[in-house]
Amino acid sequence: MDQSMKRTLQRLIRRIPFQLLKTTLSKWAHILEEDLLLLDFTQPKCLFTENLLSLCEGKGTTVKHITELEMIYIIENPNQVMWRAFQLLDAREDAPSIELTQFKEQFKAHLTELNSHVSIKIKKHTDEAVWIRIAWGDNFTKPNHLKPTYAVHHLQTPYVFVTGLTVKHKPLLNQALVLTTRYGSIKDASLSGRNLVAIRDLLMRQYQQVFPTKHPKPLQEKNHVPTNPNIEKEQIENTENRLQMACEAFGDGTLPQLQKAVYQLETKFRDNSNRTLTGSDEPFRGVVEFTSTNLLESLRHAVSSGIASTPVTPLLSSITQKGRNYFVVTDKGV
Amino acid sequence: MSLLKPFSKLPELNTANILLVENEEQFQQILAETIVLLKKNVNVNVRLARSLPLPIENEKFRPRIDLVVFIINLTSELSYQSAEVSLKFLDPDYFLGKVCFLVTNARNASVPPERLISVRKLVASLHCPLLFAEDQMTDGVNTAAHRLLAILKVTSGHVPMATGLYLSSLTRCTVPSDIDQQNFD
Amino acid sequence: MAKAFNLLTSDLDVSSESDLSVSSRASNRSLRVAEKERRKSEAEDPFLLALKYFSEVKAGTPWMGNDVLERNLVLVERMGLTRGLPPEVISTMLDYAMSLRMGAPCVRVLKFLIPATVVPQEAIVRAVAWLCVGKIAISTQVLFLKWVLTFFDMIDSKDHLRSIYGFIFNFVTEEHLCPYICHLLYLLTRKDMLHQRSFIFSLSPQGRQPFLLHLLSLYKVFCPELVTTALPSKLRGGFKNHVTPWKGVLNAIQKRNTGQVTSDIRLTIGVKDGSNSRKRKCNHLQLPSLNSAVQRNLSSTNSRKVFPLEQLHSFPELLDNLHRIELPSQMGSLLGSSLALCYLDYVQDDSAFLRLNFWLGHALHEGKKASPYAQNCVLPVSTCQNCSPLCLFYAYVLSRAPQEGFFSTESFLYKFLNVWDGSLLRPQILGLLSHIPVVPSSCIHQLLFEPLMQLFFSSTLFFKCSVIECLNDMLLKWLTWHSVYSVEDGLDISLNSHTPMNMTLSGFMDSVMELVLFVGRLATVGLQLEGCSSLLLSFVLDFYETVCDMFLKFELPLVVMPPVGVFYPALFATDPVSVDRLCFIMCRYKQNLTAAKFQQQEHVFHISSQTYREFNRYQLLMVSTLWNSRLFQPGMAVEVDHNLLALSKVPEPSASFTLIRHPAFVGYALDFHLKCWPERKDMDLKSVKAGKHWEWYLEFLFSHGYLGLQQFVQSNINWHPGSGTKSQGQGDGQPTNG
Repeated sequence: MDQSMKRTLQRLIRRIPFQLLKTTLSKWAHILEEDLLLLDFTQPKCLFTENLLSLCEGKGTTVKHITELEMIYIIENPNQVMWRAFQLLDAREDAPSIELTQFKEQFKAHLTELNSHVSIKIKKHTDEAVWIRIAWGDNFTKPNHLKPTYAVHHLQTPYVFVTGLTVKHKPLLNQALVLTTRYGSIKDASLSGRNLVAIRDLLMRQYQQVFPTKHPKPLQEKNHVPTNPNIEKEQIENTENRLQMACEAFGDGTLPQLQKAVYQLETKFRDNSNRTLTGSDEPFRGVVEFTSTNLLESLRHAVSSGIASTPVTPLLSSITQKGRNYFVVTDKGV
Repeated sequence: MSLLKPFSKLPELNTANILLVENEEQFQQILAETIVLLKKNVNVNVRLARSLPLPIENEKFRPRIDLVVFIINLTSELSYQSAEVSLKFLDPDYFLGKVCFLVTNARNASVPPERLISVRKLVASLHCPLLFAEDQMTDGVNTAAHRLLAILKVTSGHVPMATGLYLSSLTRCTVPSDIDQQNFD
Repeated sequence: MAKAFNLLTSDLDVSSESDLSVSSRASNRSLRVAEKERRKSEAEDPFLLALKYFSEVKAGTPWMGNDVLERNLVLVERMGLTRGLPPEVISTMLDYAMSLRMGAPCVRVLKFLIPATVVPQEAIVRAVAWLCVGKIAISTQVLFLKWVLTFFDMIDSKDHLRSIYGFIFNFVTEEHLCPYICHLLYLLTRKDMLHQRSFIFSLSPQGRQPFLLHLLSLYKVFCPELVTTALPSKLRGGFKNHVTPWKGVLNAIQKRNTGQVTSDIRLTIGVKDGSNSRKRKCNHLQLPSLNSAVQRNLSSTNSRKVFPLEQLHSFPELLDNLHRIELPSQMGSLLGSSLALCYLDYVQDDSAFLRLNFWLGHALHEGKKASPYAQNCVLPVSTCQNCSPLCLFYAYVLSRAPQEGFFSTESFLYKFLNVWDGSLLRPQILGLLSHIPVVPSSCIHQLLFEPLMQLFFSSTLFFKCSVIECLNDMLLKWLTWHSVYSVEDGLDISLNSHTPMNMTLSGFMDSVMELVLFVGRLATVGLQLEGCSSLLLSFVLDFYETVCDMFLKFELPLVVMPPVGVFYPALFATDPVSVDRLCFIMCRYKQNLTAAKFQQQEHVFHISSQTYREFNRYQLLMVSTLWNSRLFQPGMAVEVDHNLLALSKVPEPSASFTLIRHPAFVGYALDFHLKCWPERKDMDLKSVKAGKHWEWYLEFLFSHGYLGLQQFVQSNINWHPGSGTKSQGQGDGQPTNG
């Protein structure tokens, strides 16, 4: 075990919160159950890590084992990092036929062709998702296991979710993905979030939606609570209207958890009192960011409770309708 | 613009009507349900509104309102502003003891103290009572309902020898002077 | 800052000071010799070797790239972070670090210096000596002081530390150290220590930091003549609970050493999810636990050692160790233990109360550092109703009834009343409210009456009763304090020895007067709103039972009559108990007024003739109503036109409230009638009034326990059972038939 490996393991243990440490380590095939008993989970983390290191040293731990532990942790707890969604475009006709082993081999082949100094590990998770871990290196350095890239791809879908990808390695990964999945090209889907399942659901439309209809179903059906005859709402139509609007825009079931929505404005500045800015050719840039632990739920509540005006502006409703949370607003529209 | 008037309609026998005005509709709903379930010897109707003016089409069926309660959530600036705007749609006669204010979240740490002071000033200038409620707790909601009912009984004339104006002259809000603010600290 | 202080230490006993440290060193040295011998036998133990290295390493040894040092350091560090270090190791390492023998590792050593049991005070004394050398970087000095404050409760005894009080005091002039030094001094100061020295303070305006003021206020409690500057009566801020790097590890080690390891880890895994953030929010409201890890066996060997409060388990133990108890640095921990409270009661230590007060103020007002708006009364009671310091403090107040004003709770209460909904923590709030000391009449309206009135009239009957009861308790307490503490000459009373508030007798009387009048107003309107509810009436009469006896029971020359709004509802109440109690109250008023009139000639006080007139009017009305059937007649308090009365078609309206026809007593009259003439078919209550029957009827009433009525009849009406003779009292012996 060399110094860099030790550092990698140390960092990894530091990342894993205390209460997950035991469960994560117990899933690591490299450590046996009786080894686990030797470890004292009540120690301060720095001491614990030292003990673990000395244990691993005795077992001849390799980089492979450490990456395996890391993958166990990331797959079990995907919500600790920020995921970006990418969409594959122009499927070739043989695209749906690809299966796992083929994918594994071809992806490795394509990527190593582009950059031979990478370490790739591919694992299939229970829910049809293929988890790819790439540690990048180049001609002069060994693969850096401290900053790996993770990509999650569901076979037979045009979506890939990526985290930890630098600009430098983006073309390489994109090319390898396009070639392996047999698509024509790949583009940024303008969607990101911490909850992997949520952004997947949002893209694949796997949540309950309500489609706007000409004949809205009467809301009374949904109101299970019989209201007391002594309570009367003065502005009841207003309320019903708002609820209807909120449902149309965001559906009425549980919503995928998004953490933020970003609107980047690139518009012409219009204010007669400010000559310099109004006359400028450069567009006026501004960023509006909404954040919440559950953004869509908050937006729906804001609409149904009347904090946001109705009808819902397309800027908000297109988060669900288009499956994006990053928008560039120009003078021509979104 | 239609003003809500306290004496434009005849009262009904053994009935009291209360109007809860709140920009957010949640606490209003809970409070209304609690009030109608309370044990009482008068028939109480609760009407809920987000803001004033009330829609004209309900005018015909709306009974005489005996007490208007503005619910202000101190954590929301909007809630305060909305109440302030709604006040303009109330006939001045209402301010002779038939309006009261209910403030929630007053103990919340995120509330700037100036907001509570401005609410106090507003209510004091209108000579209305200012009640506080703990809307997060069942006990708090119950107490608030009981207190509103007690005031409603007076304003609707169900307590002999007492009128809303009399009661509100006793309970109306005061703004603590600056000297005492210093004393507190 | 240096200019702000002008310090004179008159008799610093330097020679004895140095003697002391020399002797302690000598003893230490002999200890070390003994240890060395032991060490020889265990020479293989690397930990002991490491210690040996640190105690013997020469000054000036390089530390960069010193592998031996690194190895030894890691050994001790690991020991410190896992199990804590034994006392002798602490003193070796502290000495090593503070002497800067090898320069740089000082901070690192301090960071792992976690005591397993106690911190020997000699180690600290020596470290302070090194501090005086002045070679240590300021940030390191601050770290050291933080370390001392963190483990203050674990220092085995503090007498040597106290003997270098003056040295420590010198550091006050150091700007960066000042807050910590003040805190340390605050914890160390004892009354006797200030007598031998004299400190003269002249504070410049910029020197008025809260930590200095707190220290000064403590000095002022001990020796008011030494502190000449005026201090604000209510201090905010104070000593922060500094976030120190040791707390977490110390907790872990203590848990470990007491063997709760396995259960604890499960807890942290299972519970941590949702409640965590909330727990953190109200952390400041939890009581600190009593912890000073001083070992029992240690203290028993040495008589000057400290006896830790948390090891007290029985009262005899408390008695045996009274002289060896130290107050903890977190005063709030006292509230949790009844024995600790006993101790607090016994010592009657002003400084202890001062410190408890500061702690409360901190917990109630300033503990919420997360919020920039300290003005709001944030009290997350819903989450920790039982551990709220308010509740515990309330329990304390209930069990002791102290006369001390805890003004931090007072100001909290005044603020809280303004945003109170009337139900949250009602028993505690009203209970504490009834314990507040006398409020000056100038601000009593603003602070108490306005918010209470707004709450009172818009609340339920039950709340109204509770408020009246609370105000009755408050009045009783005020009167009791007055009768206990008023000085013999009767003019100047100092009600409150722990607040700067003194009150003159007239000021006190004004406040009482205001309170009584206020309750009168509340009661009048409250009774009207609640339809003269007998429950509320009973609480109101409770209050007037206190009021009517103010002169005789509490020697306060003040008599206030109830307003008509209370008098009439009680007189015409439908339940006999209220009428009976009103009779009793009127009797007491009579006795008080008679006594006052008798004493008025010799004393300076004066009771207004208005009061006498009012009393006479009530008295006359009662007699003529209950006895003489002269209600509504001209000359009485209530006059109604005859024609109007005739319209009501009530037969004999003026007799409708006599003892026979009064709604409260008519049942008894019927019962009596039935018993006297069981064979009669038609009721004729008039016959009860005739002759002997009237006497029997009164006896019958008295036998039901209406003693107030009996007293009233006996004292106001010259009526002698059996004799039946008329006399010249206020009432006539025989009721007139009207």
